[in-house]
Amino acid sequence: MRAPGAEPGRPELLCGEVRTALLHSYDPVPHSSAAQLLKLRGDAPVLLSERPNLHARSPEVLTGVDCVLPSVSGARTRCVGTVRARACVNDGRVLQAAGYFGVAVAQGGERRQWSHYLARPGTVETFGRLRHDDIVRGFLGTGQTAAGVLDAGATAERLLTRVTAHPALDGNRRVPFKSRRTRLRWTARAAPDGEAVIEGFTLAEGGLRTLALRLPASTLAAPGVVAAFCEDIAQHDWLLTNLVHLVERGRLGSADRARAVRSLSPAIDQLLHLWMPGARVAKELSPLWDVLEGEPGFSRQWQTLVQRIRDQLALHTISLLHAERVPAEHMTTH
Amino acid sequence: MLLFSASDKGGTGRSVTSANLAYRRALSGDDVCYLDFDFGSPTAAAVFDVPRVVRGVTSGGLHSYLQGDVPEPMLVDVWADTEHEALRTRPLGSGRMVLLPGDSGGGEFALGHDTVGRCVSLLQRLEEEYDLVMVDLSAGRSYAVDMVLAATAQPGLAELTSRWLVFHRWTRQHVIAASGLVYGDRGILAAGVGHGHDGDELREAIRFVRAAVPDPEAVPWNQVPAAQVSWMRKCDEQLMDLAARLDAADSRRLGTVPLEPVLQWREVLITDEDADSGVANTATRDALVELAGKLTLDEEWGER
Repeated sequence: MRAPGAEPGRPELLCGEVRTALLHSYDPVPHSSAAQLLKLRGDAPVLLSERPNLHARSPEVLTGVDCVLPSVSGARTRCVGTVRARACVNDGRVLQAAGYFGVAVAQGGERRQWSHYLARPGTVETFGRLRHDDIVRGFLGTGQTAAGVLDAGATAERLLTRVTAHPALDGNRRVPFKSRRTRLRWTARAAPDGEAVIEGFTLAEGGLRTLALRLPASTLAAPGVVAAFCEDIAQHDWLLTNLVHLVERGRLGSADRARAVRSLSPAIDQLLHLWMPGARVAKELSPLWDVLEGEPGFSRQWQTLVQRIRDQLALHTISLLHAERVPAEHMTTH
Repeated sequence: MLLFSASDKGGTGRSVTSANLAYRRALSGDDVCYLDFDFGSPTAAAVFDVPRVVRGVTSGGLHSYLQGDVPEPMLVDVWADTEHEALRTRPLGSGRMVLLPGDSGGGEFALGHDTVGRCVSLLQRLEEEYDLVMVDLSAGRSYAVDMVLAATAQPGLAELTSRWLVFHRWTRQHVIAASGLVYGDRGILAAGVGHGHDGDELREAIRFVRAAVPDPEAVPWNQVPAAQVSWMRKCDEQLMDLAARLDAADSRRLGTVPLEPVLQWREVLITDEDADSGVANTATRDALVELAGKLTLDEEWGER
């Protein structure tokens, strides 16, 4: 099955995974150090941007693959080509690594020379029928990827490990708070009526999230733009996941408010200023952020949590002011 | 914090006590992960009562990861997957409890640069997420001990807090063996220095734990004939002397876990329910709680 209007050799489907983590560093790393961490290639620069937030992105690296496509039906469709990987550091604090690829139908039934695949970076070509549903459901499945199956997550993980191991981080590796990693698996295929839509966004166990997109052909032709959108979603989902966790651990409402405020301080110091949904999303994809803001409502949940944290601070401050006014002899010690 | 559990001999209660300490920390709200580096005889899954990985996993465990066969080792959520009745309902305010099982066929293997590198990456990555990373090492001066000594000497790990518990039973042979494991020519200290550790720092990061210790002053030992009690007291004193001579005395001891009938029968987690219902001794539970608390008390570790 081929999407209407698809041409042989041109990706009909994009798949990728973004892994998001706290950078191993007590303080946020300066922009210049982020550039050092992300210098994955000698022949291509790290992209640095300072508005509206600090963002550093590595050049892309390619990995050659000859394996089978993900599938729920168990079809073992061989594919050959390259997977792209890139990493970014946001505000010196959040590290992301992404692996992604497009799937195209090969012209002819035989494997070509590597030069052929290198001329189509980030595309894998299949020798069988391309069953979009089967691939998408296989790729977004929550189970572990079987051996021999194309795994964008493993590509992302290797890159995350590589950047994390950079010696420039040594000496300052204690993290300011314990955080959870998240993985966003995403797919994008052609929209029947040419309009970008989110088919599904789910949260699963173990920090796994899945996002299924339908996009106009012109957007599918720009995989980097789609990957950037997914990185933005992944970063904000990570922020939300970790803020929820910090607030949960703070046991707000329990008797010891000073303790609660102490445990929230990493959120205040490290996370609250990072919220900027859609900051680096292409115009044609920004309506999709509005959809996510409606349901499940990322910013709504974020603002509620931020307000809770600020309320705790306010109450704590009031209790301190009150304690100062109470004469010492009336104070009870704890 | 990274916490390594070692013992010179098997049967010292190392795994079961370590698992109980991990459990106690999780109950108090810490996110905890437990790595079964007991290559060859994985036991942690049995203690946590996770039947599906009880004999280790066939592939994708820690052994496969360290050898580079899989990009990430398998993780088991203990609260979700345990068959232990008292554990199935996760208590309010408790932290996560995650087990990284070993592979069933995984014996010892050669120490290579890549393996140490993967070990460093894994421990860094877990330290990012968990309050306590507990590593159960196979008995003796094993490959696992050597690997983590090499890993924790690397620049990317050396700056993180690493502590060691050395478990032994309260007998002459066990005390001598435990002391040898730490201070011997091929002991942890000597090997650690060989890998680049600072000897004094490493020494301060190692504490002994006496496990399965009969208390001559408590039930049932104080109810045996007087001659036996006095014999036991004498033994106890002699062991104290021996421990002091071998630098395993009180200043180097983090805690003592009493001989517990339940653990003689089965290697399990001692729950509050067990202690409150009288199945397990409350003294055992209290000792585990105290020991779990001391893991993070800097003054117990001679921090300078």
